[in-house]
Amino acid sequence: MTLSLTAAQLHGPTSLAEAVRLVAGGAVPLAGGTWIMRGPRAGDHVVLAGLAELHGVATAGDTVVVGALATHAELARHAWPPALAALRTAAAESAFPQVRNVATVGGNIGAAGFAEADLVPALLALDARLRLGDAGGAVPLAGYLAARPAGALVVAVEVDAPAGRTSGFARQTVRGGGEYAIASVALAVDRDAAGVVTAARVAVGAVEPVARRCPEAESALVGAPLTAASARAAGAAAAAGLHPRDAPDAPGWYRAAVLPAVFERAAARAAEEPR
Amino acid sequence: MTPLLDVLRDRLGLRGAKAGCGEGRCGACTVRLGDRTVASCLLPTVLATEPVTTVEGIAPPDGPLHPVQDALLEHGGVQCGACIPGMVVSICTLLESDPDPDEATVRAGLTGNICRCTGYQKIVEAALAAAGKDQP
Ligand code: FES
Ligand code: FES
Repeated sequence: MTLSLTAAQLHGPTSLAEAVRLVAGGAVPLAGGTWIMRGPRAGDHVVLAGLAELHGVATAGDTVVVGALATHAELARHAWPPALAALRTAAAESAFPQVRNVATVGGNIGAAGFAEADLVPALLALDARLRLGDAGGAVPLAGYLAARPAGALVVAVEVDAPAGRTSGFARQTVRGGGEYAIASVALAVDRDAAGVVTAARVAVGAVEPVARRCPEAESALVGAPLTAASARAAGAAAAAGLHPRDAPDAPGWYRAAVLPAVFERAAARAAEEPR
Repeated sequence: MTPLLDVLRDRLGLRGAKAGCGEGRCGACTVRLGDRTVASCLLPTVLATEPVTTVEGIAPPDGPLHPVQDALLEHGGVQCGACIPGMVVSICTLLESDPDPDEATVRAGLTGNICRCTGYQKIVEAALAAAGKDQP
């Protein structure tokens, strides 16, 4: 363990460009602080709260753009289309009110080492893209999580909400209440008029060190209606393809063992959304 | 970065908010920032840019208790008291946003306030009573 005795230096940029420059130079972005305040709290931090560009949720056609400073509470309150219901549920069931009121989507994505982040699997299942504070276009969230490019500031998250798609999210905790999930599941499905799944995106959080899509579960869902049985089978397929982590709150085998049940709950929620 | 809780307790002498876990898990440090509750142990003071209400501000110092505080006493919702300042702030904030909550709403609103003593039932009953929903 390193003990840092350096005082934190806070920067309050007055423009997004200035914030981007500071973060590119190595300063840490500070949004709601709920992750950072549990760490050493030292070094340079960039206070983002004053930057209007990072706030709010906007819709352009089928695409929804969520500012990085949108809190879990705001996401839980927002009127989402059925395609994005998983995001609402993940935000509403994460942690508890005092944390949801300040913790942001940008922080949930940007917190390295946060295996239990709830919004991340939901956003992966929704095929989210990130706008980083550079001149380039939006990048896939999955790629960002794999590389965690140093000095990149998450400015906004883009998700598509085509008609006919529904999504659902469920999480499992050891006790009730506001704990970290030991496994979380988000799925988004497109279904034809007969209810047969034509495309599926599935992501699992808290099981591996970083949330990820589960192609085995996606192929297991396609070609049949979304039922409790098909969801459980997809959960078993996902469990077989994952490398679950052991941690004090749950051993790896247990995380894998609960997955079919969590899949069933997430699928039931996706199925009950209107199409 | 100094957490708001340290400023409240150590610089301003407001000892109502408690330092419990210090990592956003127990709610003993709950205060209100603007119209929402926050865990002050995790809030960098630089982000406290709206009015902060601690339990000391819920009822005037020498005046009568707030109805939520009275209800907690009447319903036996207070034992050691360590969680109570946070509970009071959470319940008052909940009732302001939803004056007519059902039991499930109260329980959901208190998921971030851990109580080691009471088993919660009496606290939930007190919150419902303060909302005018006294049970037989
Ligand atoms: S002391 Fe802040 S949540 Fe426990
Ligand atoms: S009364 Fe003791 S912790 Fe709640």
